[in-house]
Amino acid sequence: MTTVMLVDDSATMLMSLKSILTKAGYTVETAGHGKEAMDKLSKGVKPNLIISDVNMPQMDGITFVREARKAPGMRFTPMLMLTTESEQTKRNEAKTAGATGWLVKPVAPDQLLGVIKQVVPGA
Amino acid sequence: MNPLLAQFLAEAADLLSQVDEGLLELERDPSDPELVNEVFRAAHTFKGSSGLFDFPELTRLTHAAEDLLDAVRSGKLSLDSGMTDDLLAAFDLIRGWLAHVTTHERLPATAGPAGQSLIVKLRGPLGGEQATVNPDVAAALAGPVIDRAPDWLALFDPEWLEKTATWLSSTSATMRFVRFTPDQGCFFRAEDPLHLVSQVPALAKLDLIQPFEWPPAEEYDEYACLIGFALATRAARGELDYLFRYVPDQIEIVELNGDAIHRYVAGEEPPQPRADEAVVAAVAQSHTENLELARDAHAILAAAQRSLALEGSVSGVRLSAVARSVAAAAAALGVPVDTADPDVETLKAQVANLLTEVRPTPADAPPTPPPPPPAERAPVDRGRADDPGGQVGTRILKVDQEKVDHLMELVGELNVAKNGLTFLADAAEEEFGSRVLSRRIKDQYSGLHRIAEELQAAVMDVRMLPLSVAFSRFPRLIRDLSRRLGKTVELVTEGEDTMADKDVIEALGDPLVHLVRNSLDHGIETSADREVAGKPPAARITLTAVADGDAVIVEIADDGRGIDPAKVKHKAYEKGLISEEELETLTDSDAVDLVFRPGFSTADQVSDLSGRGVGMDAVRASVEKLGGAVTMRSQLGRGTSTRLRLPLSMAVTQVMVVSVAGQRFGIPVDLVVETVRVPSAELGRVLHQDVVVLRGEVVPVIDLARALDMPWTPDPAADRAILIVSMHGQRVGLLVEQFHREVDVILKPMEGLLAYADEFSGTALLGDGLVLLVLNMKEVLSLAARAQ
Amino acid sequence: MPLELSETTATLSDVVTVDEVEPLVAWLRITSKPKVNLRRCNHLHTGALQALLLFQPRITSSPTDAFLATQVLPLLRGSSGGPVLPESEPP
Repeated sequence: MTTVMLVDDSATMLMSLKSILTKAGYTVETAGHGKEAMDKLSKGVKPNLIISDVNMPQMDGITFVREARKAPGMRFTPMLMLTTESEQTKRNEAKTAGATGWLVKPVAPDQLLGVIKQVVPGA
Repeated sequence: MNPLLAQFLAEAADLLSQVDEGLLELERDPSDPELVNEVFRAAHTFKGSSGLFDFPELTRLTHAAEDLLDAVRSGKLSLDSGMTDDLLAAFDLIRGWLAHVTTHERLPATAGPAGQSLIVKLRGPLGGEQATVNPDVAAALAGPVIDRAPDWLALFDPEWLEKTATWLSSTSATMRFVRFTPDQGCFFRAEDPLHLVSQVPALAKLDLIQPFEWPPAEEYDEYACLIGFALATRAARGELDYLFRYVPDQIEIVELNGDAIHRYVAGEEPPQPRADEAVVAAVAQSHTENLELARDAHAILAAAQRSLALEGSVSGVRLSAVARSVAAAAAALGVPVDTADPDVETLKAQVANLLTEVRPTPADAPPTPPPPPPAERAPVDRGRADDPGGQVGTRILKVDQEKVDHLMELVGELNVAKNGLTFLADAAEEEFGSRVLSRRIKDQYSGLHRIAEELQAAVMDVRMLPLSVAFSRFPRLIRDLSRRLGKTVELVTEGEDTMADKDVIEALGDPLVHLVRNSLDHGIETSADREVAGKPPAARITLTAVADGDAVIVEIADDGRGIDPAKVKHKAYEKGLISEEELETLTDSDAVDLVFRPGFSTADQVSDLSGRGVGMDAVRASVEKLGGAVTMRSQLGRGTSTRLRLPLSMAVTQVMVVSVAGQRFGIPVDLVVETVRVPSAELGRVLHQDVVVLRGEVVPVIDLARALDMPWTPDPAADRAILIVSMHGQRVGLLVEQFHREVDVILKPMEGLLAYADEFSGTALLGDGLVLLVLNMKEVLSLAARAQ
Repeated sequence: MPLELSETTATLSDVVTVDEVEPLVAWLRITSKPKVNLRRCNHLHTGALQALLLFQPRITSSPTDAFLATQVLPLLRGSSGGPVLPESEPP
């Protein structure tokens, strides 16, 4: 069972991604910002993939990825950033922080599922 | 309306007010980076979410606004009042559009031109609208560009290269060659290079780039990626760019036709700049790249050695091709060799020399510099002395919520430490025989106790917010929805200044919205119907909040058509929620309560307004999660009122401590009705269920030890201790071992292994240092039901 | 179980992820004549491939997975003294 953790401060975005993933048979965990997500990770939630927004209150996505890499069992977990067309520099920052790749908003269902297959072996 | 769109509209309203507020503040203080950031973030989120719907004008306009804000944020532009005007105008326009979307689910027809003129204005300071030339399209029109063969082509078997070149020439086709050199730390970004390679479409050939020298087994770091890949594929350039888009810096792709490969194999290609001077320069430039190059060079040399050894007599073009790659590799290593007129033996010796001479040991690898520590980003509470909009006479401090939460935690710990003193006092008397010391400790305790209580009250007070925060969204919501439904509704709010804990206020939002929508949609009649019924044409919805001791009561009342108990009963019966007998016997008030049953509200009554996939059962569940209760009263033809009773604060919970099988548990006091002791003989059994008769009422009794799967055999002679709790108006007895006192505790959510144990709602620390598990009665009861 | 270790043979099956790399390497370090069965393996993490390249265990069973069998296995054979240059037809 592949679990995907979604981190985004937009409830709309969470809802849309969650419905795509749930329909495709993934288990989904959501968090409204990096802090909440870190909390879940520290409480033993162990996703096989994390998809996080970049711009969020409390803890931005890049800081979150950097922190999440240090969480138990998250050393080798694929992490993707949700970015917009204009956020080229953010992508590089994210990679330095430990992100595996990125998605460009708005995310089409096929694209999302394709990328998951690409970065999570056996997903 | 589709739920996603409804969600977006609800979120959009918040975002719009954030943007407006932020922009106005920004105009006053254009230099505040936090403000710019906030506005940018709101605009950004807006754009992201709007892209989910087919509103291209909206996305384009928010995009333009976002770009302008981004330029301000990065300091490329400073915000002037002209830009602020344009931004405000843009978001006003959006607000208008969204109102239109709310009623028509599409943008107004004028959106295109109106948006475009603002986009032009917003893009003005950024140097106008960008011309959009797609370089890919241009490239595609020009046809594939044939690259020069790179020196790493030597990684492939020369014979295979020749065959392939011939084939490509005769079919005038091309092939893409990829060199993929992952960096050592790539596993720590969860990259798996081989997994990527396995996804290369139409892979024709795969070869390894092995490390210059494998480290000895005992020093081998299994998490450092030391290998790379060279591959040939018929996949299109675009497919490869897409596949490798996350690792562009680890990838080199060349497009080759038969001629290019032939020339390479024949050694006719003029040396690539990269192969000598440029390479050497690059080596000097970066140590990391040096390693990578050295790895390549080594791989090439190894390949050369292999082919020289294998083929015995290598000659002609094949030999000169090998010689060329050896020369290039040697140059890359900074040890140029002369291979102008090669023979097999010399070449073999040279390769062997190079391989032994130039060996970077792992120690050569520079430690990758640790990433710079992230800049501390402590939230800055700016002084507001310069803020002309501030209130005169009151100084308001804006404090991060987390700080208040932390304070609350500390108060909890203080309470625990304080309670420890009573145990110390007992010990002083019992163990050390000093009654005087014991009394003095108790005196100290009561002083400390008073201060701790006041401190707790003060902190709780800081967390209090007026109910007006929760009510503020309703005037607009009711206005919009009632117009849409063609109903006339007047909203009356009372007691908005009643205070409650911020967590309670926040959690109240969704249930309230649901109840108000329900009222508007189902409860309230059209004006015409109302007049027929002899009511005033304008309906009235009343939102009331009153404090009631430790609780706050919020009531939503309408003077609509009310609930018909007969209809509700009938519907519940049709859905199989009640038995035929209940259909006959249920009282009217019990019938109204049926709307809270899971599964009651379903498709046929889901409207585009209230039908958001949650029924009244969800409302009840979310209120109960807060430790509250929901009741509904309705009079047919007169109206319905729903009453939510919530604890004023969720921070401190009063629990009754009981013990079962030697273990103590907490039960929220508001569920407890009474404690009774009955002789064991008075426990009866009805239909496999233990019961006790209390004042003529038969109350089912659950053995708590059994429900929690704890071994315990009660002393048959002793009286039974039974705790009577009330859930949804139903009384249930819990058989326990012993009652203890009631305590105030700070409930902490479950962590670690127990995080998924639903039968507990949290833990609390007791004064004697013991951790108390607080039961989630709802789950415990359903556990007990399953156990039977 | 993606990784099953016995005294002399490691059986890799399904998707071998990075999580299996550490135990695999530890086993390869202490096993004198290691044998590896890849028959039911569908994916090999790069770290696992690298470990096989370094420790050169005997591959006892070819993978049924097409990519591993046609593209990756020859790389392993090549490094452990088998036929070095497998034939691959031009397209």
